[in-house]
Amino acid sequence: MSASYVAVGWNRQKKIYDWLIAGFCFTYLLLFISVTLIVNEQVTFETLLIRSTSTLAVLLLHVILAIGPLCRLDKKFLPLLYNRRHLGVTMFTFALAHGGFSIFQFHALGNTNPFVSLFISNTNFNSFAAFPFQALGFFALLIFFLMAITSHDFWLHNLSPRVWKTLHMFVYLAYLLVVMHVMLGVIQYENNPVFVIIILAGAVTLITLHLLAGSKERKLDKRKFSLEQEGFMYVCPAEEIEDSRAKIFCIDKERIAVYRHENKLYAIHNVCKHQGGPLGEGKILDGCITCPWHGYQYLPHNGQSPPPFKEKVSTYDVKIIDGKVWLNPVPFPEGTERPGATIK
Amino acid sequence: MDNKEFYIGWMPAAPGGLAKHIRKVVVILIMLVITAGIILALQQKKFSTATFEFGQLTEITGIYQQFPVPSIKAMSNLDASGHSSSLTIPLVGYGKSGAEGIIAELEKEKNTTLDKKTVTFRGTLLYSDGKTLLQIDKNDDPLTKISDAVVNVPPAIKELGTVRLTGEILDPKCYFGVMKPGQGKPHRDCAIRCIAGGMSPVFYVRNEKGEANYYLILDAAGKKMNEQLKDIIAEPVSLRARAVQYDDWIVLYIDGMNKITRTGGLSWFKTKDGDTYCGVSHTINVSE
Ligand code: HEM
Ligand code: FES
Repeated sequence: MSASYVAVGWNRQKKIYDWLIAGFCFTYLLLFISVTLIVNEQVTFETLLIRSTSTLAVLLLHVILAIGPLCRLDKKFLPLLYNRRHLGVTMFTFALAHGGFSIFQFHALGNTNPFVSLFISNTNFNSFAAFPFQALGFFALLIFFLMAITSHDFWLHNLSPRVWKTLHMFVYLAYLLVVMHVMLGVIQYENNPVFVIIILAGAVTLITLHLLAGSKERKLDKRKFSLEQEGFMYVCPAEEIEDSRAKIFCIDKERIAVYRHENKLYAIHNVCKHQGGPLGEGKILDGCITCPWHGYQYLPHNGQSPPPFKEKVSTYDVKIIDGKVWLNPVPFPEGTERPGATIK
Repeated sequence: MDNKEFYIGWMPAAPGGLAKHIRKVVVILIMLVITAGIILALQQKKFSTATFEFGQLTEITGIYQQFPVPSIKAMSNLDASGHSSSLTIPLVGYGKSGAEGIIAELEKEKNTTLDKKTVTFRGTLLYSDGKTLLQIDKNDDPLTKISDAVVNVPPAIKELGTVRLTGEILDPKCYFGVMKPGQGKPHRDCAIRCIAGGMSPVFYVRNEKGEANYYLILDAAGKKMNEQLKDIIAEPVSLRARAVQYDDWIVLYIDGMNKITRTGGLSWFKTKDGDTYCGVSHTINVSE
């Protein structure tokens, strides 16, 4: 689906998603600013701006990082995933406002270029308590920047999904940098334990969600297939696979999706060419296997995206003997047509 | 979610069961946003009442003095008993620069020296906690009057002995007016930039009663030591110094950097300002 970024417009769901993001951000900023002005009226405009945008960005970052594991745990969260990049770009925008304004506030109008000042002012790299926390924020912002400008599918295709995915894994490093930016920064001044508790609660939630999602998948991956015949492994009884749906099996570290379509079974590689979505958790729509993440489609019998799209995934051989499904884990080259197996 | 329900973003609407679930998620998120906004806003430390009269120019007349820091000594009117008191107003430059640069420029421009002359400066006031400073900026045409003759009103000087204090070195412009918070770790880079820019460093100490005391810092020879201080600004330090009172400011003469030590430590779980940033300070007189 090379051209999908042209094909997909701004449909109703995207609009709802974006309006919700805008509504959340507006509510947050309004509350933070007005409550601060009421209870702490000596605040300066600059500090309001710096703090409201930074805390909003961190809140968004937590939501963004929670969506992935939530979707892996329960498919019902998938609608949140589809436009996650909008959340990401929004988060970056607020982080940029915070970082940019901080650089101006704390470094401009001095005897040095503000960007140089950011790195040469506090140079206590060998002290934990005195560590230059602003540099940590800068590198986090740099990562968010790279992610935001490459968020469009155009870059996904030009960088290749593997490089793109690797780049986007740096979000975890950025998250760690942000946590330390806050713990070694403003929390060293705000001696109120509530902030430490909030940061820790956020981290514990995210770590728990990731561990739960991981362990769910590990269970799937750990299943042993011991019955083997001429290269085929016994995987499950045929009736376990619902129509238009699939089951995923992990053999030799490769995940394979076995789909049922019009009384036949077909097997394809489970990994979507777009961003690696789990094809076996998708569904057949209009005769095409449809990825649950962003809706890329593949034909069940040859693993190819319908024209004009050009994505291809590997296919596998399946057979049914006495109502039992046997799967050959040796892949055929991507896009190879296979006959499938008829269910009696 | 049953087998028939399947979500794809490019469809115009999500299937009913999913939509219901997402509505629940949205409600949870709204509550999260509201709680986070309120809690974070409420829990911030109180900001000081420091004021920077941004955009408002004031004329101050007094005796300009180069020592201990560039400042104006302004005299009050005589009170009922015939006494007058003085207020020493340190000068700061525009942005993150001290006053020395602009004073030198003004002296060159007028082809005279300012020290110990009666002057009128136009600038922006900043004040907090009984201390007042004046920002003078080239663009405000700051020097409106200058006397020809030197006036001789020496400061009231009092030796206070050697003191040991725990506190924080800060830049006075941000602390006494421009920024909030204008001290501590979040403000550290800025304080370093300001002090590197020639702002006279101020030592901030909290006493047992929670009241703040402020001191000026010079080296043993009475010279500025801004450059040397760079690495220990805006963090808790202990120092030993000779203290001398000049009118309403006390100057700490610090005989070398080995007289200043970091008291350090992280403040993740401390709840009292006293413990966190400045510790308990004591002014003890010790004979050298
Ligand atoms: C160039 C990049 C950055 C710079 C120069 C910077 C600078 C600062 C400074 C000076 C503070 C203390 C402000 C205060 O006095 O309250 C601060 C706090 C904070 N920063 Fe950053 N930051 C940067 C990037 C980021 C990024 C990317 C994030 C996360 C998305 C972030 C999140 C926060 C948070 C949550 C706080 C605590 C709340 C606050 O004080 O604003 N910062 N940052
Ligand atoms: S991962 Fe995006 S459509 Fe499959």
